[in-house]
Amino acid sequence: MIHSNVQTSKNNSIQLDDSRPFAVRRFALMLVMSGITIVMLVVLHITVGTLDFTPRQIVLALLNQAEDVVHRQVVFGLRLPRALVALVAGGMLGLAGAILQTITRNPLAEPGLMGVSSGAVLAIVLYIVFDAGGSIWDSADSGLILPFVGMVGGLIAGLTVYLLSYQRGSDPMRLVLVGVLIGGINTALISVVLLAAQDEDVQRIVRWTVGSTSGRVWVHWHTIWPIALAAIPLGLFSMSLANILQLGDSVALGLGLAIERTRFLLLCIAALLTAGAVAVVGGVGFIGLIGPHMARLMVGNDVRRLFPLSIVLTAILLIISDIVARTITIGWVGLITGLDIPDTAGLPVGAVTALLGAPFFLYLLLRGRSAL
Amino acid sequence: MTNSQNGSSDHLLSAKDISIGYAERTVIDTLSLVVETSKVTALVGPNGSGKSTLLKALARLLSVNAGVVYLDGKAITKLPSAVVARQLAILPQGPNAPRGLTVTELVEQGRFPHVGALRMLRHQDHDAIKRALTLTNMNKFAHRSLDTLSGGERQRAWIALTLAQDTSILLLDEPTTFLDIGHQLEILDLVQQLNQERGMTIVLVLHDLNQAARYSHRMVVLNQGQIVADGIPHDVLTPPLLAEVFNVQANIVTDPASNTPICLPYAVVSQDGQPHTVES
Repeated sequence: MIHSNVQTSKNNSIQLDDSRPFAVRRFALMLVMSGITIVMLVVLHITVGTLDFTPRQIVLALLNQAEDVVHRQVVFGLRLPRALVALVAGGMLGLAGAILQTITRNPLAEPGLMGVSSGAVLAIVLYIVFDAGGSIWDSADSGLILPFVGMVGGLIAGLTVYLLSYQRGSDPMRLVLVGVLIGGINTALISVVLLAAQDEDVQRIVRWTVGSTSGRVWVHWHTIWPIALAAIPLGLFSMSLANILQLGDSVALGLGLAIERTRFLLLCIAALLTAGAVAVVGGVGFIGLIGPHMARLMVGNDVRRLFPLSIVLTAILLIISDIVARTITIGWVGLITGLDIPDTAGLPVGAVTALLGAPFFLYLLLRGRSAL
Repeated sequence: MTNSQNGSSDHLLSAKDISIGYAERTVIDTLSLVVETSKVTALVGPNGSGKSTLLKALARLLSVNAGVVYLDGKAITKLPSAVVARQLAILPQGPNAPRGLTVTELVEQGRFPHVGALRMLRHQDHDAIKRALTLTNMNKFAHRSLDTLSGGERQRAWIALTLAQDTSILLLDEPTTFLDIGHQLEILDLVQQLNQERGMTIVLVLHDLNQAARYSHRMVVLNQGQIVADGIPHDVLTPPLLAEVFNVQANIVTDPASNTPICLPYAVVSQDGQPHTVES
């Protein structure tokens, strides 16, 4: 499917004036380059941290040939899973955003908008607060319970949005409006819970709300990859359906598409991707909006290129954000503001995506406007 | 290979006693119509007469409250939607593509009923796409983004999408609306060409009575959800009909170029003064 354009121009005897952007004409190359970038970024991500390693030590540890057991523990046990979780979560949020923007035909749609993201966070936050006893500090975060709770919460919220917006058929505009409403209610509830929470829980709740990859280890990886492995191919298999749906309901019906079933299927995939990612890294904002838009600026709106590139670019965005998040610790905030903040925790990656991602996106938009 | 390529259109579209209404308002009231194959049929009528609604019902975009739309003698709603889409294409009014889609990317979607969701475009699909682009004279714009095209070019791209469907029946809902006169004629000439050269059955909703008279074999006039006149343009376009349906007094002359009737409205029929009849 992806190569269909290339074939078209090859088959044509007439030389077409191919003024399409480079990223469109050389899409496969584009994906390969992005893949190489990802590998390099993952290695960089693993290199950065409070303990300094030489590149040789990193590579040896990754190849399971570490000279020192500490190298192996830090590199293989802590840093690699965190990088992989960030990578996959980013890709999932990117695809979810691209799907939602396509089916709602609304450029503002993103995973956080449909209530799924905030629903997952709310469920996790409620679990943290109501799960009595101190056991949660050590067990729950590294277990399967929180991601599971998050998944369920996110999917319930998504289904609620769909059902409430359904009136003799689903309407993209109503979906977005109801999504915003449910999202608003969820956010308000999270704030209420936050106010009522014990002091020791507040930090964790805020991290889940903003989104954080710190402390994500192999058990988190084992939670996120099966969901990604199920949902990402589903999304990619639905590309030609999404392509038809984005032409509008009347045209899609005329082409023989079962629009209600297709829209529901795509919404389910987006909800699954969002809930899966948020349940593991929390409500990381903005990248699900920015990644697909960056992809769109490069390859336009044909879903067969937009979806794969959204996955890759958003994954890159989250990895870069996480590298920044690991470099800038909260202690820096203390240094800048003069407040006495212990230099223990890294900045949550969600804060970085919002603080750096939003201005960067604004720059892209403004530059794009002057270029048009 | 396909019907439209051989120039024979054997698919028969008809509506029997259909009624359509939104909430309390009846838009189409017990209407029957048999679409003539390999002919151009124009649906005309005042605003709100139900002509667009009828077209959508014929294309199974709207469900009917009563009656049945038949395609080849089978109820169209009982047929798989993709099967219908291989025999009948519709271009809705004012279609709106997402920004940044190129002409080829749009036209490729027309192969969906033939290809399905999971397969790649095959050789015959690329041929159909190429044919559609050539017919609509859009080859040179193949890789242009839709939002960089003029209104007329964009409309031709959408028609190319329906042509890529390779159907023998084509329904067009006000294909000339919002286009300047030159682009309007370009679209209508294309309609004529598709009918004459490929034998396509075409039903189109038009606002302009003179264009309908010039480009169609058959004019169907709707008023308040019912057919009030049906026949060749010469028989349909008469002063009494214009007074009754459109509330205008008009002279009918013959276009020296095409020998088709032209109406020249000169006054509005006053609602209370002279209802429904005109002396001239």
